[in-house]
Amino acid sequence: MRVKVWGARGSVPAPGPQMNRYGGNTSCVQLTLANGEELIIDAGTGIRALGVDLAAKRRIHILLTHLHLDHIQGLMFFPPCFRPEAEITIWGPASPEASLEDRIARYISAPLSPVEMRDLPCSVAFRDAPVGEWDLGGATIRSEAVTHRGPTLGYRIADADGTVLCYISDHEPALATSLRDLEPEWISGYDLARGADLLIHDAQYTDEEYPDHVGWGHSAVSDALTFGRRVDARRLVLFHHDPLHSDDSLDALHAAARARWADLGGDPAAVEMGIEGSELEVSTAPSAVGASAAR
Amino acid sequence: MRHASQAADPRRAPAGQRPLELILARNLLTHLTTPGFLVDAEATMVFFNEAAGALLGRSFEDTGQMRAEQWASTFGPLDAEGRPVEIERLALTEALRAGRPAHGEFRIRVASGESASIEASAVPIIASAEGTSGAMILFWSRGDAGGAP
Repeated sequence: MRVKVWGARGSVPAPGPQMNRYGGNTSCVQLTLANGEELIIDAGTGIRALGVDLAAKRRIHILLTHLHLDHIQGLMFFPPCFRPEAEITIWGPASPEASLEDRIARYISAPLSPVEMRDLPCSVAFRDAPVGEWDLGGATIRSEAVTHRGPTLGYRIADADGTVLCYISDHEPALATSLRDLEPEWISGYDLARGADLLIHDAQYTDEEYPDHVGWGHSAVSDALTFGRRVDARRLVLFHHDPLHSDDSLDALHAAARARWADLGGDPAAVEMGIEGSELEVSTAPSAVGASAAR
Repeated sequence: MRHASQAADPRRAPAGQRPLELILARNLLTHLTTPGFLVDAEATMVFFNEAAGALLGRSFEDTGQMRAEQWASTFGPLDAEGRPVEIERLALTEALRAGRPAHGEFRIRVASGESASIEASAVPIIASAEGTSGAMILFWSRGDAGGAP
């Protein structure tokens, strides 16, 4: 499985010269499975550039974790939406309040949008992510609700080649509890992330910032690391960077995270940062640690 | 789309984790000073908080999870004459089966070894069309035994 990060920022796009290395686009990740099939997770502003890259793609699957704007804002600017031959299936969390289509249409409609959903020339289908596991593009997908504000999913994607990716971009598993001693069955996201070859996880706040943001649905870095160790993830990508965090502050956060990971008994090289444009090869081989910046 | 088979596959995640709504309910109970406990869909008591432990005389860390018949034989409920009350008559059973809040009065065995009169309100925990995940029960002493507000 191959992963390309098209947006790693949380909350709101954060462009600017101090953000160039990590990028300012919001959450979007592209997976290329062992059989060549592709899946997209989240449709933050990063999906716009990905859509340019998918010019010839006919069938497209997008897995949404939730419908906060930083995870759907790019949909309206996703070039395949404007190609009549494109067949797009959008998966996302169910809600008792309204269908997935109706909830997304609140954004792709006036006055927030110059086009309505019905105006899109592509074929688009909306599916509630099923309970349990299902097959998609040759991978086994599992989605589960995780601790965040509003209905929010995490995804576990097991490829046919045996590699497992877990993506929990918005997650506060340590809300009102301590992850260090909690039994696994009581840890949000535990089953999704357990033994993943690559875990992409929320690390929006530094430990100093977190006390002012308890209950906002995001993790302090130390909680992301503890979660990663508890689930025995082989590699951890820190993701959903706060829009206030510049490249330099994220460098410092990365260095501290690696030291903390080592304190927890892990290999510091296994902690990486979500970097817009980076590509990661996911492997089950113990030595396969590495990422390449493609931008 | 086709649903995956459930055949054993080491790449599949184990299915032992509690539903998120129970995890959040436990987190809430942990921080309440009102005695409360949490049951799953089978009425197994999966958690009770420190305030409940103070009233019952045992901590959750001591007891661990208890099946319905276990906690019933340990703590009650009892009627006014001290006889066991059938689980089917409890507020939590109505909450689990009917999926609606329920309230009841009965007696339980407390730390002193005596029985105490309490009121209990049970709220079903329902987060999806799959049904009830469990129930959260808050209870109050009616005044003839200490330990609860």
